Amino acid sequence: MGRRPVGHLIEKSILSAAMERLDRYADLIVRIGANVQPGQTLFVSALVEHAPLVRAVARSGYDAGARLVDVRYVDQHLRRSFIEHAAEEDLTETTTWLMARTEAIADGGALIMLAGDPEPELLADLDQARVGKARAVDALNRQLKAQNDLAVNWTIAAYPTEGQAAQMFGEPDLERLWDAVATSVRLDEPDPVAAWQQHVERLRGRREQLDALGLGAIHFSGPGTDLTVGLLPNGRWMGGGLTTTSGITHVPNLPTEEVFACPDWRLTEGTVRSTRPLQLGGTIVRDLELRFESGEAVEVRASTGADAVRGEMSVDEFGKRLGEVALADGTSRVGQNGLTFFDTLFDENATCHIAYGAGVMFGVDGVDGLGPEELRERGINLSAVHTDFMIGGPDVAVDGLTREGKRIEIMREDTWLLGRQ
Amino acid sequence: MAPGPSVDDRLERYAELAVQVGANIEAGQTVFIQMIVEHAPFARALTRAAYAAGARYVDVWYRDEHVRKAMIEYGPDSALEHAPDWLKTKYGSMSGNALIASTGDPEPELMADLDGERVGRARMKELSAIAQAQMMARQINWTGLAYPSEGWADKVFGEPDLERLWEAVAFCTRLDEPEPVAAWREHMARLESRAAKLNELAFDALRYRGPGTDFTVGLLAGARWLSAVFHTASGRPYVPNMPTEEIFTTPDCRRAEGTIASSRPLALLGDVVEGLKLTVAGGRIVGVQADHGAELVRSQLASDERAPYFGELALVDGTSRVGQTGLTFFDTLFDENATCHIAYGFGIAESFEGEPGEGMNVSSVHTDFMVGGPELEIDGLTADGHAVPILREDEWQLPE
Repeated sequence: MGRRPVGHLIEKSILSAAMERLDRYADLIVRIGANVQPGQTLFVSALVEHAPLVRAVARSGYDAGARLVDVRYVDQHLRRSFIEHAAEEDLTETTTWLMARTEAIADGGALIMLAGDPEPELLADLDQARVGKARAVDALNRQLKAQNDLAVNWTIAAYPTEGQAAQMFGEPDLERLWDAVATSVRLDEPDPVAAWQQHVERLRGRREQLDALGLGAIHFSGPGTDLTVGLLPNGRWMGGGLTTTSGITHVPNLPTEEVFACPDWRLTEGTVRSTRPLQLGGTIVRDLELRFESGEAVEVRASTGADAVRGEMSVDEFGKRLGEVALADGTSRVGQNGLTFFDTLFDENATCHIAYGAGVMFGVDGVDGLGPEELRERGINLSAVHTDFMIGGPDVAVDGLTREGKRIEIMREDTWLLGRQ
Repeated sequence: MAPGPSVDDRLERYAELAVQVGANIEAGQTVFIQMIVEHAPFARALTRAAYAAGARYVDVWYRDEHVRKAMIEYGPDSALEHAPDWLKTKYGSMSGNALIASTGDPEPELMADLDGERVGRARMKELSAIAQAQMMARQINWTGLAYPSEGWADKVFGEPDLERLWEAVAFCTRLDEPEPVAAWREHMARLESRAAKLNELAFDALRYRGPGTDFTVGLLAGARWLSAVFHTASGRPYVPNMPTEEIFTTPDCRRAEGTIASSRPLALLGDVVEGLKLTVAGGRIVGVQADHGAELVRSQLASDERAPYFGELALVDGTSRVGQTGLTFFDTLFDENATCHIAYGFGIAESFEGEPGEGMNVSSVHTDFMVGGPELEIDGLTADGHAVPILREDEWQLPE
């Protein structure tokens, strides 16, 4: 072999280090996140800009024994044209083929969804009511049902983009974002898979502590926030992974630092102020404030993007009601970064949050085989949307209220208090 | 309101040509777009043009050759030909609607290091079957056109000169004309008159003679010569290939004899076949030789029983804009319009009035390869054995 200029070699080694990081990340997503099993079809949803990670995931998926890797690329620019031009009644339409693909996912598939918006403000100048409404409602409901039925081993992971880096740092410093993502998902550990197993155990410990308290509600108090979220009597706390009905343990979000529960859609009262910006369908919602009465968001205010929230909440009758309450403290690797990622996947792991829309019902006992009306009667919210927004931080105190009316301190100044004597 | 950042005017004009002349979409149609993921800027421009032309819904299916490569390299055998149900549903929904697809491979040699046999097998035959039935029934107004990329430019020029490739593509597709749509109408009329002349002469066979080529192939009384203005069953005209410089017909797949030497490289299944030579007896390809890539052709010919029979004869002379560039594009869409070509596999249903089995070939493959050039002589043979010159030194010999 002939001699090569040194510069070329250096360039090549940087390139291959980046490739190696991508491959390690893909392995983590496939092995820990979705935990793809031999013989499964692996479905991947991603933006066109995520192609490099998609390709690494495809290789890793086949390596894990997938019978087929079926990729669906989404393109926000096409979505923009669709929102601009589609007839009002077509905005919520599900095509027959998208429904068929969703059915195939529900039928024992593994599912990886990549997040990370390269152009977070792409849809900002459109009619926000239409932006919020433009969703394939039937397919989304079918997929949410499959996820809630524990029929699918799925995960969501992020792909760093320059657009996101620019939004976070004021400059498109992709490498800095990669570092933040790698730390958040423990790719910096010598053995990321082992580190994840340990981490997941700790989150399971927290949810056992909470379950042992038998809480009837969670109370958040802080600047602009005085909110009581009522819990289901038969609901358990979740976190650190799910197990499908066929016994596959997977981690639905990479990273994950939260423990979470399903609220009763009828029992939220008070006001809440969001503590971080929310990225919603191509617009940024800032300073969101909601007021709840009997579980319903009766007031929606924000300094920007309130219409996007209102539009999304009105997709169906139950969009205005809560489906999740989640707790995360200051030990969170995401929180420790001190960054706002403008991406729910990360930001929701920085701190406590709630979600309006569909209830996270996989922690709720005794609901197998119940129809929509019966689920609602038991307090579980059903909706085509599920949007998390951040309400926690050092200034927000979190208490548990037992069914006997006793108040138990759970978090102060971002510190988890349970289990400390 | 700006439709987005960095809108390329040339790309928008190209997209308009594809939508208005190529697929010629009808208001209210669903427009299906199939592109590789690298062609996203083109898909976006086409989507804007399609909605502007009244499309009800534009559905883009992005494919990724690297994901396909992972399947061929690491996936199980069962994955190679598998067509997911949802994709069959999608294909079925194309009937009565419009379709736009692109060529222009950014990495023409991506599959070159893989097992050629597996590359050849990796095709969703069930989808081809649905698409064939739709083509036979003329249910879709569709078009295919190329999107320039650096990788493709590198292949053509030996350097990634994207702008030079764009200029060549714009010239070939008449985007350099002040009124590309009008220029296309005039061009199609000339090709139409050539086809009419050949139909009037009603030859029994064509004879090809040149270096390495001595080939006679039968023509069908029930098949017409066409230019590339097709019509759907409901009468909507469309131009399935842009550029197009050819007139073509479906030959009698039962009558072909001799040897054929391909005159240009053939891009096939992610690799390039060089120096292809075919031996033909009784209508069937019985021998495949090549300096490189013979295995790819053999594996494709093994796709089904009717793959090694001929499906198309096409005539192109030296006035071709593609030919005038003097370039080999390594893309059939262009190279087949530079010069005369022949395809094995599926016939041209639009040119044939009769039942398949009465001479038109039916197969799951259709691959064009170039045979033309200044040294190739083509004659029409009448039923009583007279030879009438059609092409000499790249010049059209029949009156126009």
